[in-house]
Amino acid sequence: MKESPRCDSCTRFTVCTHRSDFFILSGRKKEKRLSDIQSEMSACLRPSLLPAPPPAPTWRSSLLFGVSSFSRKLITRASSTTSTTTMSDAAARELKEGIAEFYDESSSLWEDIWGDHMHHGFYEPDSSVSVSDHRAAQVRMIEETLRFAGVSEDPTKRPKNVVDVGCGIGGSSRYLAKKFGAKCQGITLSPVQAQRANALAAARGLADKVSFQVGDALQQPFPDGQFDLVWSMESGEHMPDKSKFVSELARVTAPAGTIIIVTWCHRDLAPSEESLQPWEQELLKKICDAYYLPAWCSTADYVKLLQSLSLEDIKAEDWSQNVAPFWPAVIHSALTWKGFTSLLRTGLKTIKGALAMPLMIEGYQKNLIKFAIITCRKPR
Amino acid sequence: MRLLTHNMLSSNIKGVANGFPLLIEVEKVIEKQVDFNPDFLKNIFPKIEWQALVQASRSMGYSELPEESPESSMLDSDDFLMKFHHVLLELHLEEGALVCPETGRKFPVNKGIPNMLLHEDEV
Repeated sequence: MKESPRCDSCTRFTVCTHRSDFFILSGRKKEKRLSDIQSEMSACLRPSLLPAPPPAPTWRSSLLFGVSSFSRKLITRASSTTSTTTMSDAAARELKEGIAEFYDESSSLWEDIWGDHMHHGFYEPDSSVSVSDHRAAQVRMIEETLRFAGVSEDPTKRPKNVVDVGCGIGGSSRYLAKKFGAKCQGITLSPVQAQRANALAAARGLADKVSFQVGDALQQPFPDGQFDLVWSMESGEHMPDKSKFVSELARVTAPAGTIIIVTWCHRDLAPSEESLQPWEQELLKKICDAYYLPAWCSTADYVKLLQSLSLEDIKAEDWSQNVAPFWPAVIHSALTWKGFTSLLRTGLKTIKGALAMPLMIEGYQKNLIKFAIITCRKPR
Repeated sequence: MRLLTHNMLSSNIKGVANGFPLLIEVEKVIEKQVDFNPDFLKNIFPKIEWQALVQASRSMGYSELPEESPESSMLDSDDFLMKFHHVLLELHLEEGALVCPETGRKFPVNKGIPNMLLHEDEV
């Protein structure tokens, strides 16, 4: 097969007659997204044609793939979901697709530079941070989180069944599986990430303990009460319906199980305030555009939701000071030669996300954005 | 739906060991003219499951495709390539169904589009 990625003259599933190969174009042309195609098509392709695992960034937007030409489309996906959201269904669907595409595109680069974990590192406030420390800081984040939530390491009390909601490429799941000997299941909207997460688990000998699938946090593909630890590490900010998100978390938690939410929030509103200031809303909107985020809520909003579900031991803390060094560190890594050239080889979405990093810093500095941890327990 | 598409599809119903190739139930076949491109045909040839293509063309009413998988020398013969071209790209199943060879489950084809949606219990 030839190396070059895309044919600029073809569209959608098409046979590129210029090169006599098949190319599926990326979402760049607003046609079928690669992730859509992969999941739809693999459902009905003969096994010898199933695509190989996603390769390095330059190739991600094209896939050498045997597909029908000019057959317009195959109906492989039922039409819209039944999730009740305050967004219109169409907008929610667009958001989900945007999120999937964003992570499909960016995941490989992020992994390249930052490794397993796609969350903030935990730092002592005001510490200066070296880029080489970032992976350790990300592990510290997990440990501090577990400590705050009071998760026991005692073999009789530690978690045995964990769900990682918004699992990325599975860093947290694999870590928790190794730490507790627990079974972990992760869900993500991004097929590229799910595939990569499973591949990494297999490569590390954890395939019997951890598994990942494409799934929607607002409609988790699990029965009630399945997990004794429900883990949402920096995925809550993507959820368009916080109420549904939280009630799904609660639904899949076993009695006496622990729920942990680590997420980006905006500051709590003062009692007299009805909403954020216009300038605050504007800043958040720019960030939302870049990162495929729906409207933000505050830490207090989360606490209220958990209270409304009669969950116990609800605790919340503001860790903004502990993650403040993170974004400068990310920018630093982007400005290295490796970071920069890798960015150029990803796609517009990733680049847009990268350019929005100073906005995150601004948000933190102006006390608008908070990095929050909220934990609670389900009653027995 | 072209036979090129049909050649790629398989029934992946849960529990089915071999869902390829799908049998074709014909209700309506049409022929569409497509520009002849020998380079394309030569490149796509290795990806095609030949037997499946031959069987499929027969169910569509075309019997001139050789049953044995052609050797590479045949790919230089225009005569052969024209037949290959016709079968692969110009014969269209407009209405009918694709049938899972193991379970007999039918995937309907309407207006040239196959519906490969699995039901919940088949996934």
